[in-house]
Amino acid sequence: MTARRPALSGYRMMWLYVMFDLPVGTAAERKAAARFRKFLLDRGFEMAQFSVYLRFAESKEAAETHIARIRDALPRKGKVHIVAITDKQYGNARIFAGRKRERSAGNPDQLALF
Amino acid sequence: MMAGRVVEIAEDGRHLAKSRGFLTVSADGAEIGRVPLDDIAAVVASAHAITYSNTLLVALAERGAPLVVCGANHRPAAVLWAADGHHDQAGRMSEQAAAPLPLKKRLWAQVVSAKIESQGATLESVGAPHEGFALLARKVRSGDPDNVEAQAARRYWPLLFGEDFRRERAGGGVNAMLNYAYTVLRAGTARAIMAAGLHPSLGLAHRQRGNAFALADDLMEPFRPVADLLVHDVVSGGATEVDRETKPELARILITDMSSGDGVSPVAACLERLALSAARCFAGTARKLDLPRRTLPLEG
Repeated sequence: MTARRPALSGYRMMWLYVMFDLPVGTAAERKAAARFRKFLLDRGFEMAQFSVYLRFAESKEAAETHIARIRDALPRKGKVHIVAITDKQYGNARIFAGRKRERSAGNPDQLALF
Repeated sequence: MMAGRVVEIAEDGRHLAKSRGFLTVSADGAEIGRVPLDDIAAVVASAHAITYSNTLLVALAERGAPLVVCGANHRPAAVLWAADGHHDQAGRMSEQAAAPLPLKKRLWAQVVSAKIESQGATLESVGAPHEGFALLARKVRSGDPDNVEAQAARRYWPLLFGEDFRRERAGGGVNAMLNYAYTVLRAGTARAIMAAGLHPSLGLAHRQRGNAFALADDLMEPFRPVADLLVHDVVSGGATEVDRETKPELARILITDMSSGDGVSPVAACLERLALSAARCFAGTARKLDLPRRTLPLEG
């Protein structure tokens, strides 16, 4: 209720990792893989690494909605892992670029100020 | 239900565009940030020199996310509205336009009563005297002919912000902070009204004739005291103006939890339910607006 207390609990907020390994041997397979990648971008997933996409979801329900949409857009061949973790767990992730520690994205503020 | 994020463009020279599923913000030709389009509740443009791509404006309209163009002191000057917000928009708007005056007066009384109760809850939250407000809320009659709303306001502001405080729209300091929180609230209300297939200009209270956002201003009334509480907390924390520190706090208005028939939901979701219930009342299939009650602050 007040500005000092978080209105969204860190246990309700989720992060979704989508990891995929899709065949790219034929032109049709490459096309299907590109379509899936573009689908993830259109749905607001950002690339964390090649074949690993990441998205914030404000609640468990919102995460389930995203997962249902992905299921409807799965390519015919290849393997896709979807991992949902809480914001608290995401906060413990250790991210390295080379040997240097990078800060995780952090959960988005209610206000995006530019 | 998504509460959604508010995107504010507060610095000159920004260019807004769409890239795949994202709104992108660029400065000097380089991207400085992106927000998933599906997560956006509203875009508030408060800087002067901003450019937009048409593709982005279409994408926002398709998602029912209003673009609020602000003038001085964060007061909205225009809202870019989706031409087709709901599949039965034409039907609902004609019912809204045909709503008889007694119905609108009854609904207005419900809104005013809920607002006064909410003012009492805000005063209680800050430890101020609030006992008279429940009684005032019950005194509101159809159309509020006794202007109980104004009676409550005269008591409310000095109790919340002190005897010297005057609520002035053009004022700075606390007044500007209130304007800011209300602008975010109004954008969220506009989105809910659009999603319910209603027209923003056809309000409940005749006093607002000539206001293009009359219905948004009507339906947001019971939520204003929640915004007032956010401002009060920010001011208690030592803030004196609208700036980079206070804006994110005030923008939390849309994700602040309130209780309703369906349990605890953020203000953004309560606004959607309220707008849908207004559509049902105009259609004659309901008599009561779905108004939220105030909960005590959640322990976090």
